[in-house]
Order: sequence, then structure tokens, then C-alpha cells
Amino acid sequence: MRSEILYPGAFPMVRVELAEGEHIKAESGAMVACSPTIDIESKMEGGFLGALSRKFLTGEKFFFQTLRASRGAGEVLLAPTVPGEIVVLDLDGVSEYMVQKDGFLAGADGVTIDSQMQSMSRGLLGGEGFFILKMSGKGMLLLNSFGAVHKIELKPAQEYIVDNSHLVAWSTTTTYNIEKATSGWVASFTSGEGFVCRFRGPGLVFIQSRNPGGFGAWVRQFIPVTE
Amino acid sequence: MIASTPNALCFGDEFPATGAPCLIHVEGHGLTMTVLSDSDANKRRSESVPFSELTVSAGGLDHDQLVAAWRGPTGQRTLYLKNPDVIRAFRQAAPDHLTMPLERAAKQVRQVRRRRRMTWGIIGGSLLAAVLGLWFGSDALVELAVDRIPIEWERKLGESAYHDFLARQEVMKEGPAVAAVTEMTHRLTDQIPENPYTFAITVVKSDVINAFALPGGYVVVFTGLMKKAESPEEVAGVLAHELNHVLQRHGLERIVKQLGFVAIVSIVLGNQQGLGGVMKQLGVELMTLKFGRAQETEADLTGLELLYRAKIDPSGMITFFQRLAEKDEGRVEWLSTHPMSAARAERLKAELALLPRREAVPFSFKWETIREK
Ligand SMILES: [Zn+2]
Repeated sequence: MRSEILYPGAFPMVRVELAEGEHIKAESGAMVACSPTIDIESKMEGGFLGALSRKFLTGEKFFFQTLRASRGAGEVLLAPTVPGEIVVLDLDGVSEYMVQKDGFLAGADGVTIDSQMQSMSRGLLGGEGFFILKMSGKGMLLLNSFGAVHKIELKPAQEYIVDNSHLVAWSTTTTYNIEKATSGWVASFTSGEGFVCRFRGPGLVFIQSRNPGGFGAWVRQFIPVTE
Repeated sequence: MIASTPNALCFGDEFPATGAPCLIHVEGHGLTMTVLSDSDANKRRSESVPFSELTVSAGGLDHDQLVAAWRGPTGQRTLYLKNPDVIRAFRQAAPDHLTMPLERAAKQVRQVRRRRRMTWGIIGGSLLAAVLGLWFGSDALVELAVDRIPIEWERKLGESAYHDFLARQEVMKEGPAVAAVTEMTHRLTDQIPENPYTFAITVVKSDVINAFALPGGYVVVFTGLMKKAESPEEVAGVLAHELNHVLQRHGLERIVKQLGFVAIVSIVLGNQQGLGGVMKQLGVELMTLKFGRAQETEADLTGLELLYRAKIDPSGMITFFQRLAEKDEGRVEWLSTHPMSAARAERLKAELALLPRREAVPFSFKWETIREK
């Protein structure tokens, strides 16, 4: 399995080459085009209840699609819904990442996707909802963001503070606390109340350069209100 | 050849920020770490650390990873591992002072998980109760919840409402009316088998045509109702009906129903103290709780039976109900909490007809003199 990011920048697309028999799990709706040798199966990752909980509690689409090169080698073109960057991570079997809903684009079959319940405070204040996705296993993982992706590398015990609406993914070797934003932070439009996450290394934190909720609020001011 | 599946991540200055995948072996004296990030197996670096040079803690997002730190030949190393086999091997081989913080952390993690499971369990349980309630009607759940409320708690609830109410009323301390109502009540309560309640009766001087019984057995009779009654049997009929609302715990059922499923769930799960507060918040007034049709019928029928056992003529109850329902002159307060229907009196008549005739024992007082006062 090889992947290549086409048109890097705001409107990228990813090409994944599959050898015969290989397959990839993609967020349903992510597929743009594919070779005629690729079969598309809608599969409920984590069983029916898992899919259901993802659907209702994380807002993720109900199904992941499995794109399988069952009739010979081929390629698929995948693209996220929102304008923004695509990041390729290579899971090595020990590294694990928590991914905020909407952050997942696709994963090799060796990648395991789990819906995980968060603690009440993280769920209520974190802004990612009560369920987030945990990625483990081995193989390629494609994440997408709204805007550009910025990678923060944290050394052991190094700290960094992130506005929670900009979070995309973070390694499970990090820890974080949710804190009320101090006055210097701009409160997000949607929650009205600003919360930030204080991360502590070691590990990686991926953030997106744009805030979907803030963008939505910005767009809404141009929509005429009919009364 | 060493198996090349990594089981830990090593962090340090010379490693990438993601951590270097490495292989950990636990031996009798310490750890051996082999960094696997170099693809060339010959260049793989191995490093052995005795337990004495390690500091150990629990870390990671869920505090379920073993974090071991030491000073290596080329800098500080921090190891994150969550492979259960390796952690077990470490706990067996390492000296106690090293594994102690780990055991503490493991206990904490278990507690956090249990607490989280419980929180979600309660949320899930509430949702389930709500769904079940919608599907099967809430009555069964309401009864289940009411069964869990101890009499003692019910008594406290009624008592505080009783005192609150009486503080604003003109209470008759003694006199023929009080004596008459007390006699009626005793005649009735003497016939209740295994009565868990001690009934308290108060006569309130007021023209309002009303009487009520609060949860826990607090009965209030208004002089207005006594004026309206043409015989003591009529008042006794209302009392018998009220006492049975208490005995059947109808008031509690109403409260629980009004407070809804949150209250049900909190009672079923054993949170009884919080309910009084919830009730105050929602402004549920015990005195104005309206009973349901099924509860009225139940209180009527058991009331009739009680009158019969107490040798008080039950036809007084029936005629009084009929008269109260007919005359709309001046609002009959009692009817606002005990919705009357024509069928109620008819049903009582039919029930009474089925009972064998029995000689009634009259009361010791003269009703006319009491009414005049
Ligand atoms: Zn009634």
C-alpha cells in the first residue's frame, strides 16, 4: 500500500495504491474515484452497536467503507469534505492516537478504530463530544483537518496549551487537563465559553489552523435572515 | 534474531518526538531495550538498565501506561509501555519500591474506570427507564419507585408539609367537632390490619369544603366540610376515602409521577435524600396534588370496605359524594383534588349491594349540635 497526497494545500486529495487483495477503510463519502478493480463494501466497524454509538454520539457517519482491490491491483482517490490538509501517519503497532470526530479520513486494514468514552468533564468541556476515536494497530492512517495541520512535538513533561476546537489528534502518551480559557483566549462562537487543553508530553499533538465552529459562525452572518 | 514487533516507545533527545518503537525485555536484574527504528537490524542499539537506576510511574492519557525513566549513556530516556505481558513481567521481577507507585496508579485507574462506568450506567439507566416508561406506561415504574421509599421518609415529607400548612390556618384545638372527628377516625383506624401509620387529625376552622390526607398519615378536616355534611356518616365516608389514599400511598405515586423519571431513577438507585429538594424545586404542593381516576376508585372501594368493617353506614359516603357533585354552589374544594364522576357513586352503590347487610353502630355524639357550632 502506497499513498501520495495530490494538490497539497487547501484542497488536497490522496491517492492510495492497493496491491491485489489489499484493502483500506475509509470514512464513507470520502471516496472520489477508483480503478474498476476496486470493490466497495459498507462495513460496520466495531459491530452494530459500535457503529450506532459512533453515529449518535460522535456524529460520525454510520458506516466506514472498505475499499478492496479484489479483482487486481488498483488505486483509489480519497478526499475530505472540508477544505484542509491531509496528514499521513504510519502506525507502528505501539503508537496510538486519539482522533477527534471528523478527523478520520482512512486507515489501512491493520489499523483498529475504537470509539472510546471520555470522562464526563472531558466530554462536557472538551468539545469533542463524549466519544472520540482511538486508533491503534499497524499501518497507514490518514487524518484530515479544517485548514492546515500543525504538529506540536512535546518532550517528556513539556507542556502546551491548545484551544480545544482546534484539536485534531494526539498521542496516548500525552496527558491533558481541560481548563477554562483565561481572558486572553477568544471564546469560541459556538460554546460561548472558551476552554483550552493543557497538554503534557511526551508525544505529538496535531492541531488545525481553522476552527470549524468559528468558521460556521462567521459564514452565518452573511446568510440573510428571512422573517 | 530478536522478534521485531515493538512493545514500547522510547522518548529522549536523540529519538523522534513520536517516540522510538523499541523492544523491551524484562530480566532478573533489569530491562533491556532494543530500539527498532533503524531498519537495518545490524545497527540496532541495545541498552541494559538495572532496576536500581530506574524511576517508575504510571502515565499516558488514561494513566494506564508504565513509564520508566533513567539516564542512558547518551542522555535521558523515558519509556512508555502498555503491553500487559511486559507490565506483568516487570511487576514480578522488579523490587517492591519500584512497583509500588505502579500498584497505586493501577488502583486509581480502576477506581476512575469504575466511577466512569457508574456515571454512564446511571445515564444509561435513566435513558432506559425513560424508554421503558414510554413503552409500557409509567405506572409499573412509579409503583416500583414508591415501594423503595421508606415509611419514615414519607412521614417526614408529610409532617413538614402538615406543619407548614397548619401554621397559616386557624386550628381547632378542642371542642365537640374535634372530639367527633377523632372518634370517627379511631373507629376507622382500629379496623386497619397491620397499620404502619400513626394518623394525626386536625380540624381547621374554614368555610372551604375540603379534607385531605398527606403522605405519612396527616389528616386535615375543614369545618366547611362538616357544615355541608348532613350526618356524621358522610364525614366518616370522606375520612375513610382519605385514609385509604394514605394507605395505598397514592400521594407518593403522584409526586413521583410529577417529578418524572429522574426522580424514579434516583429513588431506585437509592438516592432518597435528594428527592425533597427536587420536589421543592419543581414546586410540587402536596395539598394540591390531584389524584388520578384509578386512585379515586381504589380509595373509594377500600374506603367503603373500611366503613363496613368499622360498622359505619357506608350509604352516608355515597349520598355525600352525590350531593357534593350535584351542587356546584360555592366551589367544593375537595372535588378539585378528588375528581368526581357520576360513575363513582354508581360503582359504590353496586359494591355496597354485594355486601351482606350489617347493623351499623351509631356515633356517641349528636351531629346537630356539632353542626351548629
Ligand atoms: Zn380521593
